[in-house]
Amino acid sequence: MNPAGLFDHQLILLATPRQIGVLNWRPGQMHWLGEFAADKGGLAGFHQVILKHAKLPVLLVVDTVDEDYRGDILPHVLGRARDELLARKLKQVFRNARFMGAWRQAREATGRRDDRYLFAALTDADWLTPWLSILHREKVPLSGITPLALACQHLLHKLRLHEPHTLLACRLNNSLRLSYYHDGLLRFSRLIGGDTPTQLPSNAADEITKTQLYLSGQRILPREARLHVLLLDPSGQLDNAQAPLNADPAFSARVIDIATLARALHIPDSFLAATPEIAPLAAIAGEAVQLNLAPPELLQHHTEFRWRRGLHAAAGFITLLGVGATAAYWLHAQDLDNQTRQLTQQQLQLDARYQAIARNFPTQAATPEKLAQTVALARQLNTPEPDAYALMAAISQAVQAAPLIRIDTLSWTNALDSMGPTTITLDAALTPFDGNYRAAMQHIENFIQTLQAIPALHNVSLKSSPVNADSSQTLSGKTFDANLADAPAARFSLNLEYRPEPGEAQP
Amino acid sequence: MTRPPFPALKLPLLLLLAVLLLAIGGVWWSQGLTHQAETALQQQHSALNGSRQQLEHSRQQQTLITTHLAAYQALAARGFLGAEDRLAWIEAAQHANRDAGLYGLDYRLTPRTASPPTLAQGLPLGQTVMTLTMPLLLETDLSRFLAALKARAPGVVRVQGCRLSRLNDALSDTTRSPQLSAECDLLWFTVSEKAALKTGSPAP
Repeated sequence: MNPAGLFDHQLILLATPRQIGVLNWRPGQMHWLGEFAADKGGLAGFHQVILKHAKLPVLLVVDTVDEDYRGDILPHVLGRARDELLARKLKQVFRNARFMGAWRQAREATGRRDDRYLFAALTDADWLTPWLSILHREKVPLSGITPLALACQHLLHKLRLHEPHTLLACRLNNSLRLSYYHDGLLRFSRLIGGDTPTQLPSNAADEITKTQLYLSGQRILPREARLHVLLLDPSGQLDNAQAPLNADPAFSARVIDIATLARALHIPDSFLAATPEIAPLAAIAGEAVQLNLAPPELLQHHTEFRWRRGLHAAAGFITLLGVGATAAYWLHAQDLDNQTRQLTQQQLQLDARYQAIARNFPTQAATPEKLAQTVALARQLNTPEPDAYALMAAISQAVQAAPLIRIDTLSWTNALDSMGPTTITLDAALTPFDGNYRAAMQHIENFIQTLQAIPALHNVSLKSSPVNADSSQTLSGKTFDANLADAPAARFSLNLEYRPEPGEAQP
Repeated sequence: MTRPPFPALKLPLLLLLAVLLLAIGGVWWSQGLTHQAETALQQQHSALNGSRQQLEHSRQQQTLITTHLAAYQALAARGFLGAEDRLAWIEAAQHANRDAGLYGLDYRLTPRTASPPTLAQGLPLGQTVMTLTMPLLLETDLSRFLAALKARAPGVVRVQGCRLSRLNDALSDTTRSPQLSAECDLLWFTVSEKAALKTGSPAP
């Protein structure tokens, strides 16, 4: 089934020269709207039905004696060239027939790989005109005109019959239609009208035999091929033809009963038994029309219908897409708004907690950071300096060991950093001094070593010595008696550092 | 499908166009809504983070205040904050001199200067040098004086340095007259109140 057919809803007409039947079909559902005779009353009734379903596309299935089928092989061409080739071929074969068509059935597997076509035409279709006039007048979208034999081809597919050479003998409307299918594709069909003596089973078997001979003669059917004959007759009149046919080794006949057909078409037995002509119509419903005999001007309304339906479908799809996308975005926006509202609530709660904390902050105070920084700075500045007493005690310890050294000035400078050393400058004199600078320097050196021996004192250095023995300087002096009361002193200065011992108490 | 029969398709084409426009409009409108909502949500996220940080900061501030407010107020009471109280400093020096049983002192206060940035650490810290000159009988008098001054100091003071020198060359004198002269430089520290203090509630 054509997938697009799932959404189809159409009228399928079965037209014969005597009457026309109407089937209202949609997937999974069908209604037989009746048969209308080819007279004034029938046309009026048909008109009413068409008016009621004017918007539905219509497929016209034709069942007439006046039809012709030709098979031919043509070069494989495409596009406009194919259209022109087929138009020439149809004109050549069927001359002035109004209803004709070509069906490209297959491509040859060997040689030039030509295309195999089936050409068909209604050689006399004047009886169709009143029905088509009604359809055209009501602007009914006619999707195509196709022979009943093609509808029966779909019937074979529904029955899942795959024999290579099949002859379907179908008795409908008091007529016997014999259609030959090769590999499931229609190759030939003929209708034997109801006025002929086909009601006799032996005559039906004869007609089948004649047809087989004709097909063999025309080389449509290979001579050695065994023909599988399917007998389809709801009235059961063809059942008796099965035995004589099976007696001939060229045939293999079997009867298709109503139950099998109904099961294949998924329709109730009773419905099919009451209106057996719907069987081929139900089989072709929803399928693509492979062999369309309608001239292009009759298909204009269907072309419009298909475009309109396509545009409506596109509009519907765009509407769905737009509504879906809009709804998705809108819902997303609503979700985001909800999240925003929840965050706003959280923020309000946080702000309230902040306000509660901030209310308890003291006024007239520095910022908490400055407050903490100020306190920390004050603590740093309040760290105790080195004890002056301990410092002087350390110096005194060295002075006691050097009785000739007299301290004149002791000055010290504390580092702002409590961990830094205290810098000491010590001005002293060696007294008494007899002018012996060598001895004096020896005393001073001993004094320095004594200072360095004290653990709290470090980096003791001589800042100035009693005498400058530099070669670049002038050096003069005199010696004295060390016992004189007014003997001069040998003055010198020292630099040193004081670091309290770890265990030493700070004031 | 053959060439479209446009004259017969005016209405469906108009319908398609209208639907297309409506769909585009609807999507555009809802996208705008979404964009606005996203922007609002981002802003709200930022605001919420700001509030969280503000709350966290206020908690830290509260901890700082709880920890340091008493010490800070004590410093303010001692005169570390605000204007210099030079008279109190002088009185403290005089009292310390008296407590140490010394012979009086000379003092000199220099103008207030800003402390080195490494020491001030961003605070408006100022320092005033007080130079004290006093006679001493013994070296230990100086340490007693400095201890007394530290005990009485109405503020934060550090001894920058001292200089002890003999008043004469006599090594031993039995009289009770001062033998030594001491000169000490003290640094009085103060934090300027205008920059350090702030009226109202603390900054977030």
